[in-house]
Amino acid sequence: MLPEQHDILWTFMTIMLTVFTVIAFINVIKHCREQEGINTKLWGSIFGGFVFISFLCTRHMFTLVQGEQLIFIWTQVGVIFLLLLVWGIFFKSAQIEDQSPPLIRAAFFWLVVGLLLAGYTNWLPQQRSDPPPKGGAQISGDITMEDYAEMGRVIVFGAKQVAGQKAIGKGQCPLCHTFDPGDNIGRCPNLFGVEERSHTRVQEERYLNEPIKVGETDPASGIKKYAKTGEDYIRESLECPSCYVVKGYGKAGDTKSPMPVIVKPPISLSPIEVNAVIAWLQSKDTPGDFSKVTVPLPSAEDSAAQAEEAPAEEEGDKPIFVTGTEDIQAMINTLGCPLCHTIPGVEGAVGELGPVLHEKTNAPNRIADPRYEGKATNTKEYVRESILDPGAYVVMNEAEGELFPDGVMPQNFKNMLSVEALDKLVDFISNTEAPPEEG
Amino acid sequence: MLGNHRKQFWGLPWMFVFAISVLLIPSLTDTAYGKEAFAESVFAEEAFAKEVSAQEAEAAAEGEPEVEWSNDVFYKDWEGNPLKGIVSGYPAPELEDSDYNTYSFAPSRIIIWIANQQHLYFGSFVLAVPIFCMVIEFIGIRTRDSDPVLASKYDKLAHDLMKISLTAYSWTAILGGILLFTFITLFPGFFKYMAGIFRPVMHVYALMFLAESGVLYVYYYGWDRMSQDPFMKWVHCSLSVLLNLIGTVLMYLANSWATFMQAPGGIDEQGRFLGNIWHVIHSTLWNPVGVHRILGNIVFGGGIVGAYAAYHYLSAKTEEEKAHYDWVCYVAMFIAIFGLIPLPFAGYWLMKEVYAFRQQMGITLMGGIMAWLFIIQAVMIGLLFFGANSYLHNSMSRVAGAHRYMKYCKFMVLLLIVAFTMWMTPHTIVMTPAELKAMGGAQHPIVGHFGVMSAKNTAVNLMITCTILCFLLYQKANKKITVPWQTLGNCCIAAIFFWAAVNIIFLGVYGYFLPANQRVGLSVPQVSSTLTTLFAGTAINISMFKDSESYGEIKWGTQSKVGTYAIFMLAISFTWLMGLMGYIRSAVRLFWHVTEVVRDNSADAYTLTIGEAGKILTFNTLFVWVQFIIVFWVGSLTGKKAVEKKEAVPEGVPVPAQQQQ
Repeated sequence: MLPEQHDILWTFMTIMLTVFTVIAFINVIKHCREQEGINTKLWGSIFGGFVFISFLCTRHMFTLVQGEQLIFIWTQVGVIFLLLLVWGIFFKSAQIEDQSPPLIRAAFFWLVVGLLLAGYTNWLPQQRSDPPPKGGAQISGDITMEDYAEMGRVIVFGAKQVAGQKAIGKGQCPLCHTFDPGDNIGRCPNLFGVEERSHTRVQEERYLNEPIKVGETDPASGIKKYAKTGEDYIRESLECPSCYVVKGYGKAGDTKSPMPVIVKPPISLSPIEVNAVIAWLQSKDTPGDFSKVTVPLPSAEDSAAQAEEAPAEEEGDKPIFVTGTEDIQAMINTLGCPLCHTIPGVEGAVGELGPVLHEKTNAPNRIADPRYEGKATNTKEYVRESILDPGAYVVMNEAEGELFPDGVMPQNFKNMLSVEALDKLVDFISNTEAPPEEG
Repeated sequence: MLGNHRKQFWGLPWMFVFAISVLLIPSLTDTAYGKEAFAESVFAEEAFAKEVSAQEAEAAAEGEPEVEWSNDVFYKDWEGNPLKGIVSGYPAPELEDSDYNTYSFAPSRIIIWIANQQHLYFGSFVLAVPIFCMVIEFIGIRTRDSDPVLASKYDKLAHDLMKISLTAYSWTAILGGILLFTFITLFPGFFKYMAGIFRPVMHVYALMFLAESGVLYVYYYGWDRMSQDPFMKWVHCSLSVLLNLIGTVLMYLANSWATFMQAPGGIDEQGRFLGNIWHVIHSTLWNPVGVHRILGNIVFGGGIVGAYAAYHYLSAKTEEEKAHYDWVCYVAMFIAIFGLIPLPFAGYWLMKEVYAFRQQMGITLMGGIMAWLFIIQAVMIGLLFFGANSYLHNSMSRVAGAHRYMKYCKFMVLLLIVAFTMWMTPHTIVMTPAELKAMGGAQHPIVGHFGVMSAKNTAVNLMITCTILCFLLYQKANKKITVPWQTLGNCCIAAIFFWAAVNIIFLGVYGYFLPANQRVGLSVPQVSSTLTTLFAGTAINISMFKDSESYGEIKWGTQSKVGTYAIFMLAISFTWLMGLMGYIRSAVRLFWHVTEVVRDNSADAYTLTIGEAGKILTFNTLFVWVQFIIVFWVGSLTGKKAVEKKEAVPEGVPVPAQQQQ
């Protein structure tokens, strides 16, 4: 109920109390008519007066709102107690043994028990749970890492904390996880020291192979297991809880995690919020020291970009699709290629997660590579194959001395591109090459 | 013979209508499209040919079939992958302000809650009463030969209950209409989505309602007429079975809407219907909620009938009336307890399914924002056990021979108080930081031990066991056992209860030494011990009554006022508890209309504080009882008329044998 509205219970009670005075009035009149020697006018006037006063109280209650009603109803309760007292005097003076009807006694019993229960619920700790904002948290200006980690803490525990009461934020983590040393409620792992563990965990044999191997796709989240760093591990745990299940905390022989995918409903943390939680997890065991935090600080632009993405999601998760009528820059941006690839000729395409796209020169070499098992015989065919079937050939990351991670590139480009768009994209990528060195 | 009873078969057309409506169900549920059903029946071949050619033309034009497949949010195939279904509906709407209407005097959420709860209370009552009537009428028929007076009492009781139920039935329908209009007017966007998915179910529901009404009227108005002949009496009794079957189907259909909202199935992530209406109906919580509600209805119905009888007992003018209503109180109480004992197990099943659907949802209930509501539930259950034991203790005073056992009552009350105190001790409470520091943590070093599930399981099992013991003592209070093995029998009962108590306490203590995930498993042997006392104890007890002598008849009509108010207490507790648990089940969706699919974007999407919820629960309880009083009063008007008529018969005029009886 809103503060400016009537309280349903008190409004109901005031009506019922007035109904009660009417019943008492009828009862008294009935006794007066049945028995001789009782001053009907006197008692009728007294109890009629009670009806009138109670009616005025009820009328006044309708002009009040919740808090005021709660205060005023005691006045009416006082009137009713006075009525009961006078009623008793009436019965006594008239020597009536069969007193108030059982209905009245039962109703009072009902009322008292009901109000005691309502009172008990109001004595307990009061916590209202508001729905999380749609589209995730917003950043309005430059923030420090301390602010960002605090944002993560609020996502975990909520803004308000009451002593002795478990506080739960949007992420709902404390429902299952504990965060202090030695504390364990047995549902999910204690996250004390998770930052330190995250680095060693990704090296463990069990992590690499169970319940799925690195590079394999988890069916629940649709994510390929990929973590190589501590940050990756924590992020993966949020986005794909079943990619690795801590021993003793899973279902079906520790192959499935009971934890929900945090980036999906009902929790649906945004990328900025996920990073905030990671920042808090990486820094919580060393208060004031944020040197171990590896996630980047978000900017207001990131937040705005996220906010722009949110309505798109709200429009029923409208799928990405390019028709080929767009210019190539817009097409590539829509498809999200710059997030991972550096593409000469495309402004802002400086991603480093995937190979640099110098396909005019690289493609022939890759077709000639003994590791290559695809079907392409020329550059265009190779580029087309790489877009539609990214796993056909995984490029070597020369700087790191290992292959780029397989499975990171989306597999569904065939659903995002029209035939014209695919041709246009293949034509463009096939002609990308390293820019000539200056000087 | 049959010819003589030809006129008495006028109920058959109703059965026929029901049979046809049942036959219609598959055709309505197999396909969600009414137009296709029509086409199949009238222009089947032509329509089929047109459809096929149209599909072929489209396929040829676009190179691929039009059918879109999507993954079910709940159902899995045999390999554990999400089940695929053909998309057959529109995505769930992203609701906006324009999809919600409001009144200025109260939030829409509160209004729909009240409308829903009032309808559910009455629905629960009108579904429960036919169950009682079926059982009571059956017992009456079976005892007709051995004890005609008692048989007549049973029959009269069943008839009286149906009379009340008939008025309540119309009231339920009116409240259902109010609920429907409230839903449509205040939540039009959400209703449109629900109607889009449950369209066929809603129509079947309406048909079943028609069938229920028909059978109900035949059952009630045919009572006297069909009682004249033993065969027709059996037919009449079987009508009550039919009535209950239809009622159960009705309830299950309506349940499917609520369980779909809480744990949806048969749709994809976007909320699109995947073409299988059975999947939508039969979502994961459908069965446990159904069973839980049937038992809950029995308990609630027993509480209402008990309170009705208790009120009449208090206001009875004659000894005969007092004796009758005292006896009705006992029967109602027995029925309520009969339903109450298995109710927690149905609750366990429901919670298990909730955890299986989303562990997070289960934890929100038991360890999150809803956890305090379960503490309140614990208090309510404690009140129920106090009420039940208090009634039995007070009832013993009117049973000759009960003095032998009444001396144990005080110890049982003591045990109940201790167990109740443990049962309601919270794990943590709100404290100031200074208090927190002074206590050395969120849990008190000693009292805190009683806040965990080990203590609570132990406490509640001891309370149930104590109630069972009390009931067994009540059963044997006026019996002078004569079987030669009575000492052995008594020893067996004592041993069963003793070892059950030892086992329950031992497992409770042992639980403190086990990790949480293993500790949970201990509740099963604890409950088994309790059930053993119930089944084995009752079986031995009843076996010992063979050839027993009586210390004297039960003095019906001498129930103490405390015992009568204990019945009131039970009725209030049932009503309030039912509202509470319904609120918990519904509110656990938090800010979702349909969990994870349709978000509640109204201004009322928040979860109420416990205090706010408690006030609405009390209002709902008081309000529904005001209505029950009105319904009972309306129901009694016919009775008064009948009594007046009977009293108006002049002396000397022969009274038909049927009325004499």
